[in-house]
Amino acid sequence: MDAALTLAASDLVQWLGNLLTFRLASCLALSGALFAIGAWGVLARRNILLVLISVELMLNAVMLAFVAFARAHVNLAKETGLPYAGESGQIFALTIIALAAAEAAVGLAIVIAYFRNRQTVDTRDISLMRH
Amino acid sequence: MVRAMHSMLATLLFWIVVLMTVTAATFVVVARNILHAAFALAVAFLGVAGIYIFLHADFLAAVQLIVYVGGIIVLVMFAIMFSAHTQEGTVEPRRTWLALGGGALVAGVVLAATIMLINRLQVPLAEANAHADAAYRTTASAAPGEIALGHVLLGEYLLPFEVASILILAALVGAVAIVRKETR
Repeated sequence: MDAALTLAASDLVQWLGNLLTFRLASCLALSGALFAIGAWGVLARRNILLVLISVELMLNAVMLAFVAFARAHVNLAKETGLPYAGESGQIFALTIIALAAAEAAVGLAIVIAYFRNRQTVDTRDISLMRH
Repeated sequence: MVRAMHSMLATLLFWIVVLMTVTAATFVVVARNILHAAFALAVAFLGVAGIYIFLHADFLAAVQLIVYVGGIIVLVMFAIMFSAHTQEGTVEPRRTWLALGGGALVAGVVLAATIMLINRLQVPLAEANAHADAAYRTTASAAPGEIALGHVLLGEYLLPFEVASILILAALVGAVAIVRKETR
């Protein structure tokens, strides 16, 4: 009786563990959630700085998806002969980090230059491109 | 048994980090004070760095901390303080329910599509997951470490690496040129 109970408990633990350690799907779900939240911010915020910040969130979500897939396919290299299967996703993520940094620098510079000329960061007022 | 406890603990920590990330990201979108939103963004970036550690991407986690939490957040703070001279300060004026609701609707559709996709991919994903887990258990050096990453970055992916560096240089020079005060 005691042994059966222990067995059932360990089965339960195993099942819960399988459910919760399903890391790839959970990471993809988190990635989708972050992307959705970022899209929400891009559409809902009125401050242009917050729109840029939300774009950064979306970029982070994409990076997360790349890294999750890279982790899942880490041993693909040895079996299929494809080189660098495990590293490629992380290289993509590194490149995205570099591009995100460039995007943030240029975007914030444009915001500051615009604010200097027009004294506003509200997306409703930002409709002119000339001085 | 100890191993199972250890695994459960790691799983618990993983979900705590996931919850923290999603909460902070949501706060970025709903916070009225822009400075608070920027701080919440830092927490969200920290959470993503934590997820990278769970995904055995240690180098990427460090880069995430240095570039995002150390660099981009500071840049955003500077931009906020440069542009906070409006009468409202850093607090945003009220937002319409239409904007919030419409944005939430689009976000919900995106999220639903992602979850449907994951559900359709469930079996291959589970196989890949079990496969990777087995690989990690059998070989200690299955994870691409910093050394392998460096070899690939400066070998197979040398061209994208150099293109990215030129792009960053051009972007930074361009940013300085845009922000610089015009002298006439």
